[in-house]
Amino acid sequence: MAKEEAPRKWKYGVKRWIALAIIALNVYLVGKIPPLRPYIQLPAEPITGTLFTFPFTGEPFYLTNTMLAVIIADILLLGVAFFVIRPALKSGKQVFTGIVGVIEALLEGIYNLTEGTAGKWAKTIFPIFATITLLVLTVNWMELIPGVDSIGVINEATYEHAHHVDHDLDIANDCTQDELFRIGSLPVVAVNGVTSCGAIMAPFVRAAATDLNFTVGLAIVSFMAIQVIGVRSLGLGYFEKFINIRALGKPGMGKIDFIVGIFEIVSEFSKIISFSFRLFGNIFAGMILLLVIGTLVPVAAQTGVLLLEFGVGLIQAVVFGMLTMIFMAQATHSHHGEEEHH
Amino acid sequence: MEADAAKMIGAGIAMIGAMGAGLGVGLAAYGGVQGIARNPDAAGTIQTSMILGIVFTEAIAIYCLVVAMLVLFV
Repeated sequence: MAKEEAPRKWKYGVKRWIALAIIALNVYLVGKIPPLRPYIQLPAEPITGTLFTFPFTGEPFYLTNTMLAVIIADILLLGVAFFVIRPALKSGKQVFTGIVGVIEALLEGIYNLTEGTAGKWAKTIFPIFATITLLVLTVNWMELIPGVDSIGVINEATYEHAHHVDHDLDIANDCTQDELFRIGSLPVVAVNGVTSCGAIMAPFVRAAATDLNFTVGLAIVSFMAIQVIGVRSLGLGYFEKFINIRALGKPGMGKIDFIVGIFEIVSEFSKIISFSFRLFGNIFAGMILLLVIGTLVPVAAQTGVLLLEFGVGLIQAVVFGMLTMIFMAQATHSHHGEEEHH
Repeated sequence: MEADAAKMIGAGIAMIGAMGAGLGVGLAAYGGVQGIARNPDAAGTIQTSMILGIVFTEAIAIYCLVVAMLVLFV
């Protein structure tokens, strides 16, 4: 309460001058460092050397920029949980303000939705729903921070990379790169600072959902959660949905029920594909849109796209979690019980 | 060079699927607006399910986009 009544440090109208100054800086920088056509790459770029090799397959393991993004998001979420939410809950206040209030409102909405759909299983399903939503939300919104996706290390370009950007490029030419600064021996550059020399830039942090490994991993987690809650609620009878042996004995439509069960298996596994590609496609398209708009109209035009991506990130996070919740709630319903209602 | 041209044509063809998604989103919004016009009190509920439906429909267009981008960039 005391915080709200404290006198404002800044007078009215100061912020608009800050915004104007940033736009002026933007115009100046674009004039000085003209934008370059971005190189769009699907696999995540490694930002470290090989850390270790896997014992059996011998594949090298290295940290990629999308993994770094997930780690940062994890630290952020855990930090907020332990150092912001927990003290707020212990303070015994009835009404929360600020970030605690926002998170409370979000989680309350999520819980009400879960309770309306899942009924008595709400307490089991809610943590998974909330975890997925919060993680994906954090990871998606990280894309909007300036510097994510656009500041990184220059790697030597292979011929294919260079060929992709400029067909008439002679890779043997000396590359001139505009460095911002160096960390140790690593040259740090901005994405627009690379002159047309065939070097590619690996950003330090890239939106995690632009890596299929992240989205497929998350989809497999939610797929497994659906199966586990199905078995927990119905026992082994859950698998009767897929391999309906009892239906084979029935006369008439029994065999068709069995075939329907086989199709259920296919549709169950297609959930992984649809979950992962929905998130991946939305965020990857958003990343490309941001890069391309930033290249075509370098001044201020990205702002609208940033607003769009803000909405897309929120909706995709909620949709990913909500679909998991709905499928989990469906898995707790007995197949036969449903038939009896009709 | 010819492979590049084929890639670009392929990406263009892949995006034809977005037509269906456009129709679907239009239909969803049509239904939603009609429902809200008939019963403005239910606007909140209708909007939620409308947005959910639009997101699912949009996912089809996103699949097309993913295919097009895979054709172009991989």
